[in-house]
Amino acid sequence: MRPLRIALTKGRLEKSTAELMGRAGLDCSALRDKGRKLILPVGNMEAVLAKAGDVITYLEHGVCDLGVVGKDVIMERGGQFFEILDLRFGKCGFALAAPAGTDFYQGYQIKTIATKYPKVARRFFQSKDMDVRVIKIEGSVELAPLLGLADGIVDLVETGATLRENGLEVVERVADVSARLIVNAASMKWRKKEIEELAERLERELG
Amino acid sequence: MRNYTKLTPEGARDLLFEECRALGEAKARLVRLFTRRGYREAMTPGLEYYDMFSLPGAAIPQQQMYKSTDSAGRLLVFRPDSTLPMARMAAARLRNHARPIRLYYSQSVYRSWPALSGRSHENPQMGVELLGAAGLRADLEVICTAAEALRAVTEDFRVELGHAGFFRLLAGRLSISPDQREEIRATIEAKNYGALDELLQPLGHSPEAEAIRRLPRLFGGEEVLSQAEGWGLDGSAAQTLEYLRSLYTALKDLGLGSRLMVDLGLVQRNDYYTGVVFSGYVREQGRPILTGGRYDGLCGQFGPAMPAAGFAVDMQAAAGLIQGQLPPEEASQVLVHGEPGFEMKAQQELIRLTEQGLACESSVWDSLEEARAYAEQAGIPRLLAVGESVREIQPGEEERP
Repeated sequence: MRPLRIALTKGRLEKSTAELMGRAGLDCSALRDKGRKLILPVGNMEAVLAKAGDVITYLEHGVCDLGVVGKDVIMERGGQFFEILDLRFGKCGFALAAPAGTDFYQGYQIKTIATKYPKVARRFFQSKDMDVRVIKIEGSVELAPLLGLADGIVDLVETGATLRENGLEVVERVADVSARLIVNAASMKWRKKEIEELAERLERELG
Repeated sequence: MRNYTKLTPEGARDLLFEECRALGEAKARLVRLFTRRGYREAMTPGLEYYDMFSLPGAAIPQQQMYKSTDSAGRLLVFRPDSTLPMARMAAARLRNHARPIRLYYSQSVYRSWPALSGRSHENPQMGVELLGAAGLRADLEVICTAAEALRAVTEDFRVELGHAGFFRLLAGRLSISPDQREEIRATIEAKNYGALDELLQPLGHSPEAEAIRRLPRLFGGEEVLSQAEGWGLDGSAAQTLEYLRSLYTALKDLGLGSRLMVDLGLVQRNDYYTGVVFSGYVREQGRPILTGGRYDGLCGQFGPAMPAAGFAVDMQAAAGLIQGQLPPEEASQVLVHGEPGFEMKAQQELIRLTEQGLACESSVWDSLEEARAYAEQAGIPRLLAVGESVREIQPGEEERP
């Protein structure tokens, strides 16, 4: 049987994951000094570094058993897999923000929302039975209300500093976000013991 | 339009040679199995009214169905599932048929998956439906047939048992709103332990809340049942566990022990299932290759109520499992070349040889020389020239002037 394969989201989450796995006693030296290799040994597993969305893609197709990915990506992309552990790093949140001093919910006009996360935005307003126009923006979403394209934005907010600088303020929190350990459903069934052991080791380190 | 003349739509594809053989062979094995167990084939149309698939409890997400309209503007779908139409057909046309009714089918289902997800939109499936029978014996029959269907294509498989009613029963005893219930169900389905804890916290302590909290972790071997039995549940929940235990014991006695798993956290949303549910897993497949269960409430939506259970096998995946193991295809043994004016005589000779069981090809070449070159290149060992007489051409023999 091939070793368990875990897909890690490249960048910040990868470093926090390596740090956590290191504390849990897994040998992560290959992750720290990875060179050009794409598949790296971690403990007795294989780690793959991928962009966030691809982590879920590899996992859903069963070519990776586990993954570490932000809740933001899970919420936006969706999919069928198990989300077994909140890793409690990579913390931030989705929020609805609008120009400071305006009452976002006032009036009967259809609101326009600019966002990088159209599904999250749509679901949020659906839960409020509000019909909104959602426009997808790829880059700095804060620009859209400044240019008059949107009444508000739904975006990831960490400290709120960027919002303040651009004259925006949080109207409402939409959801909390942090990194999650996810598992392919069939892998969970076939290799329950190994996966649960790993999850327990990591959870113990989270305190 | 012109841009699409050379492509197949996303999620649809051509099958060639060994893929067709593997699919054909997998189908043949299951046809043999099902017919020997007394199931008879039924087919339902590829097009059905949308209404049937949007019935409460039978719901398949609207966005997953391929739709069209008929000439009267009524909404049609390309069959997204076979169990619903089988139930419809049995209720409408087999009302007075002796029970139980054993049906099997081999037909494709169509689902529209999100773009670029790499999933097949056209999926050949085979399955059985056992209608008009309830109880342990009927469930055992369907699950054993499912296990045999898996065994027909691989030795390395697992069958997982669950119960659609278990969560429903537990949740029914909590005072929660339908929205809360759906939230709880979704977290169990995703095995999202953390979120489930948070949802259950405000509900206080009760054996049911405690049981629900543990549901997502309750999968594995027989120990899962023992754990759940230790919770001190009563009434229908206890009966459900007892029933699963008797199913498990019976299947273990059959020799399925090491291949059996239990998951009490199987809580699908859009389900017509009412009783035992089961899935078949094989190695290196991220999704179950077989799914099934008991759906006692479905037939009643189309006619007289009738207990029923069945399952469907993903035949593309089944074919993939045997593709590498098939014996090589029978190569042609003889090339039959008709000399000018003797084309039909050559065909007669070819018919005579094929009737003897020889794999033959007829030569489409004008000259014997070309036919010989082709035989050599295609690796056909014998070449027959049919003229006034039939003669075997030896390698290297010169063509007669």
